[in-house]
Amino acid sequence: MSDFSLVSPASVDAAIAELRAGAPGEVAVLAGGTDLLFALDGGKSVPRRVISLRRLPWRTVDWNGPVLTVGSTLPLRSLEEDPEVARRYPGLFEATRAVGSVQLRHRATLGGNLGRAAPASDLIPVLLALDAEVDLLGPAGARTMPVDRFIRGSNRTALGPGELIRSVRFPEPRPSAYLWQRVRPANDISQIAVAAAYSPSTSRYQLAVGGIPPRALRLSEAEERLGESTPTNAQIHAASEWAARRLEIATDRRASEEYRRHLVATLIERAVRRVVASRKEVG
Amino acid sequence: MTTAARPLTVNGRSCPLDGVPDSERLLDTLRWRFGLKGTKEGCRSGDCGACTVLVDGVSTLSCLTLTHEVEGSALTTIEGMADDPEGRTVQAAFEQAGALQCGYCTPGFVVALAGLLKERGRAAPTDELLADLAGNLCRCTGYLSIARAVALLPKEGA
Repeated sequence: MSDFSLVSPASVDAAIAELRAGAPGEVAVLAGGTDLLFALDGGKSVPRRVISLRRLPWRTVDWNGPVLTVGSTLPLRSLEEDPEVARRYPGLFEATRAVGSVQLRHRATLGGNLGRAAPASDLIPVLLALDAEVDLLGPAGARTMPVDRFIRGSNRTALGPGELIRSVRFPEPRPSAYLWQRVRPANDISQIAVAAAYSPSTSRYQLAVGGIPPRALRLSEAEERLGESTPTNAQIHAASEWAARRLEIATDRRASEEYRRHLVATLIERAVRRVVASRKEVG
Repeated sequence: MTTAARPLTVNGRSCPLDGVPDSERLLDTLRWRFGLKGTKEGCRSGDCGACTVLVDGVSTLSCLTLTHEVEGSALTTIEGMADDPEGRTVQAAFEQAGALQCGYCTPGFVVALAGLLKERGRAAPTDELLADLAGNLCRCTGYLSIARAVALLPKEGA
């Protein structure tokens, strides 16, 4: 493993200054470190300097009425243990539980997962289905953008030089679900994962899929087929068939194209039914 | 590090971090610097749970943690389990159920379970403990006896 120096700035300004001072590729940001240290051992990443965010005051869960703002360095385990998160954003709760293991989630963070922008991220699909926004802080100040625009591709984001992820905002509580298929339940990567949510303000469903490189995707065309309010069986079938036929899906070592097409249809159908059922429970 | 790192407290003993490189992992510091070889290296990639230790009572993968990231923390490893109330409970259950084969994964299982009991107020339903134990692998596949040990642990309301 490469040698590097580690700095733990005590303020946001100091962290941004450290980040700007390093040449691209020579500096890495460490939030929980569970992905960074894995990458370092494989020689995929060789920074000279690692900037730890552990001293920044971003391990937070804030509620502004129903609007949830999650600080980027909050351990995922703290997010899943918050009963209000599970009640108001059940899809986020389920997706958080799908990451790694308990031990890993004690250190892994939402900001780290988003910044890494892995194609198989368990969190990005649900952020897309919930219309989450990401708050960035950098040398030029703060800016906010939808997660859909923030993710640019596999391991590529809209983060500019010297910019950090400060928090992630969820604008509207939604009946939602996150379903996945993988070889092992823990510490594994999903072959396909589906997030579904129902927006009370628009009466529409939102769908996103993960596990297909290069990035998690919103499925607007499948959403159209679900219509509004309570979809019929035929509408649910049309949505899942659209995804199974039209998505660009390839075979890789985790699963064949054929199996993934089967999975995406099945998981969309189940996720939508779960959301419909939970809407009835909530009333 | 520009400023001196605060020492770790490992199983109640103060352990200075002088001379520990910035890039060193907690697993290596514990095993090779402090000589605490009960914590095992399995996969070194966060997949198996064998290297689990408690950092301020919270279960953590020592292979994916930089030592300096947890400076000043109180650590409990498998060597400290006999002096830890939840650790003792878990060890007694493992002993009673004979919950090990080669024993390599055992420290990780014991420490992970002690951490779960602490998080859950010292008792938890068996099925929830088993679900939260999914990050620990036993390569002997001796899961049945481990599950029997988990079933002996205090449940909710007990």
